[in-house]
Amino acid sequence: MKKWIALLLASAMVLSMAGCGSEPQESSQAEESSQAEESSQTEESSQAEESSQAEESSQAEESSQAEESSQADSAEADQGNAGEESSEDAPTASEPGSFTTAVEGKLTMATNAAFPPYEYVEGGEIAGIDAEIAAAIAGKLGLDLLIDDMEFDSITEAVKSGKADLGLAGMTVTPDRQEEVDFTVSYATGVQVVIVTEDSAIASVDDLFAEGASHVIGVQRNTTGDIYTTDDIEDEGLGTIDRYSKGAEAVQALKTGKVDCVVIDNEPAKAFVAEVEGLKILETEYVTEDYAAAMSKDNKALYDAVNAALQELIADGTIQGIIDKYISAE
Amino acid sequence: MSADIIQAINLEKHFDGGDIKALNGVNASVKKGEVVVVIGPSGSGKSTFLRCLNLLEVPTGGKVLFEGVDITDRKADINLHRQKMGMVFQHFNLFPHMTILRNMTLAPMKLLGRSQADAEAKARGLLERVGLADRADAYPSQLSGGQKQRLAIVRALCMDPEVMLFDEPTSALDPEMVGEVLEVMKELAKEGMTMVVVTHEMGFAREMADRVIFMADGKIVEEGTPEDIFTAPRQLRTQDFLAKVL
Amino acid sequence: MKPSASQTWPLEAPDWILNGPEWLSDLGYDFYKSFVFDDRYQMYIKGLGNTLLLTLLALLIGVALGVVISLIRVSWDKNHTEMQGPGRFFLGFFNALAKIYLTVIRGTPAVVQLMIMYFVIFASSRNKVMVAALSFGINSGAYVAEIIRGGIMSIDEGQMEAGRSLGFGYVATMRYIILPQAFKAVLPTLANEFIVLLKETAVAGYVGLTDVTYAGNIIGGNCYDYLFPLLMSALIYLILVMFFTFLVGKLERRLRSSER
Repeated sequence: MKKWIALLLASAMVLSMAGCGSEPQESSQAEESSQAEESSQTEESSQAEESSQAEESSQAEESSQAEESSQADSAEADQGNAGEESSEDAPTASEPGSFTTAVEGKLTMATNAAFPPYEYVEGGEIAGIDAEIAAAIAGKLGLDLLIDDMEFDSITEAVKSGKADLGLAGMTVTPDRQEEVDFTVSYATGVQVVIVTEDSAIASVDDLFAEGASHVIGVQRNTTGDIYTTDDIEDEGLGTIDRYSKGAEAVQALKTGKVDCVVIDNEPAKAFVAEVEGLKILETEYVTEDYAAAMSKDNKALYDAVNAALQELIADGTIQGIIDKYISAE
Repeated sequence: MSADIIQAINLEKHFDGGDIKALNGVNASVKKGEVVVVIGPSGSGKSTFLRCLNLLEVPTGGKVLFEGVDITDRKADINLHRQKMGMVFQHFNLFPHMTILRNMTLAPMKLLGRSQADAEAKARGLLERVGLADRADAYPSQLSGGQKQRLAIVRALCMDPEVMLFDEPTSALDPEMVGEVLEVMKELAKEGMTMVVVTHEMGFAREMADRVIFMADGKIVEEGTPEDIFTAPRQLRTQDFLAKVL
Repeated sequence: MKPSASQTWPLEAPDWILNGPEWLSDLGYDFYKSFVFDDRYQMYIKGLGNTLLLTLLALLIGVALGVVISLIRVSWDKNHTEMQGPGRFFLGFFNALAKIYLTVIRGTPAVVQLMIMYFVIFASSRNKVMVAALSFGINSGAYVAEIIRGGIMSIDEGQMEAGRSLGFGYVATMRYIILPQAFKAVLPTLANEFIVLLKETAVAGYVGLTDVTYAGNIIGGNCYDYLFPLLMSALIYLILVMFFTFLVGKLERRLRSSER
């Protein structure tokens, strides 16, 4: 096997030397849609020059029929706005508000693709619930989706500084975060659970809060598990919190006996328990929480547009459909 | 005839904010074609005096006139004047990262605008004269001490200087190599090169000097022809010093 | 094998892995999971490309900056007592700037500098590679400056005197005589700085660049197991460093044979 690895690494080195380009990562959906938009835009501009009323109305029809190709919609909506008020058929979510985005024509999503099933890497692309939801929102707004994959700690900063339009990373709404960013409506509910070893003395969540308890609890740094346990347990003197940069590192620590339990989101927890032998999830949940997209406080127009789009997607069942695709209701 | 090529007027040099006086009012002149040898005990200021002549040491007082121009004036372009004042150091100061030929052609090409062919032709000619022609492509570290100093001399000569300054050129050499370097210097003197030489080699001073300057405590104590200084010194300090070294 | 949207665990590894002896199948499974499955090795390749590109660009910027800063520092230290007028004022001003730069850059962590650079100073730029290269380059420049300054100081005073006595100005003497020797003297140290820099770039993930470390982290997150992916990242760095150390050794031997 060593030879294998050596061989792979050697070839990897050669390959990377040859061509180490580094374009921002775009999801496959985005790529497809960008092509679609390009073509629609060229059409559009040529039409615009001719600028006849017949053209306008035909566009309106198009858009009402083709809900699918939402890129075309927004391009039209924009144009309608520039010229005259758009027709009633125009999609409501993409209210042609004069919002600006980090990159023109694109919706930039900051995420940390190490949190399946919400976001992870599959076939070299970022996939998962959040990625699909973002793609759906982008579609509504007539934008391409651009995904920026970064450390979880950087996401709110990316949103605040305007580098990204929204942070979508299984992020729970908390008061501290609300100080920094605005959250959209919640699109999913996360459940924080407790993972313990099968022979653990901890039998229920209540044991963690018992008088005189003193456990070492593993969490992923800056996640809600961290925030809650810090408030409930560490600040009350009922134990200490070990903060890891990744959930799986916390689980690794549990496996090797460095921590007594791990407080983490239910979805990854299920995968951890399936993957790592000798672990189980306590039956009672630690807390139930709301996931939402984080957005800058300084870009109200975009916030309103995204929020409206998200609400529509929730109302028409798109969001539930996406979640069901990834999370089987057991 | 005002053939003074160098004139030092009331030179002073203080180190460390005036506590140490290396030069304390030195007046001296060098005529064209003259060989002046400066002798004196260590710490007498003779090296400082020499280094003040081309401003490697900036005097704290007094003036240096070179070809009638005050080079201590801030407006003077010292770099231009230095091109005409070759200097040879005690520790050779060859450029170790360059071949011997390159050591010699660098300054003529960059400063005098000579073509590589011209500069190399001149350099090879000079190397021939000092017996180093076959070492042109070697590096300085491959030479012996005596060879290094001979090279240092011809490196300075490549610039066609008006004056050559020698700062104890044989002091760092093994005894058996002193002769070969002095030989080159003697030849130079015979050709009529103007030279100012700081040295401990009394034999050279006696044989080659037109004038000998004896310095002590930052001052010129006595100067005259070699016969005057070596056979009939008038000052006590001179007599003391010569008694020790001869 | 096409992974489905919701992976089922454990993964279905090839039979030869699962049927082997236990130690082999454990190791083989880990390897398969973090490297072969879903072509995950490609993340490493991408990360390696970014790591090398970033390091190289940062080194170029760092050396350029380091030379300038070190020259300002050395020129001031050696000449300011004899200087007068506006020249002295300007050099003194730049020397003060250089000192502040050195203090700030060497006194703060690279990752903090990187985030300030990306999220604050270049908040409007999206060229992650260039911003990160600039940030690491500015960081490295501070260390390179001190390395080169040390190199210049180590060159015998007589070299400057010899250059000046031939009629070269201060700058020309620096350029033709002092710097080439100083560079040669510090080349091994500079190469070491390159190796340090290579590892320093491991925080590029904070601005959304997939370098070797971030690739390992993502793969670890995706297979719910960090052990093997992290070892893999470590191994890649180790091999890179060993490779460059080997090159540096060769370079050093060649320099030594070409004299001095």
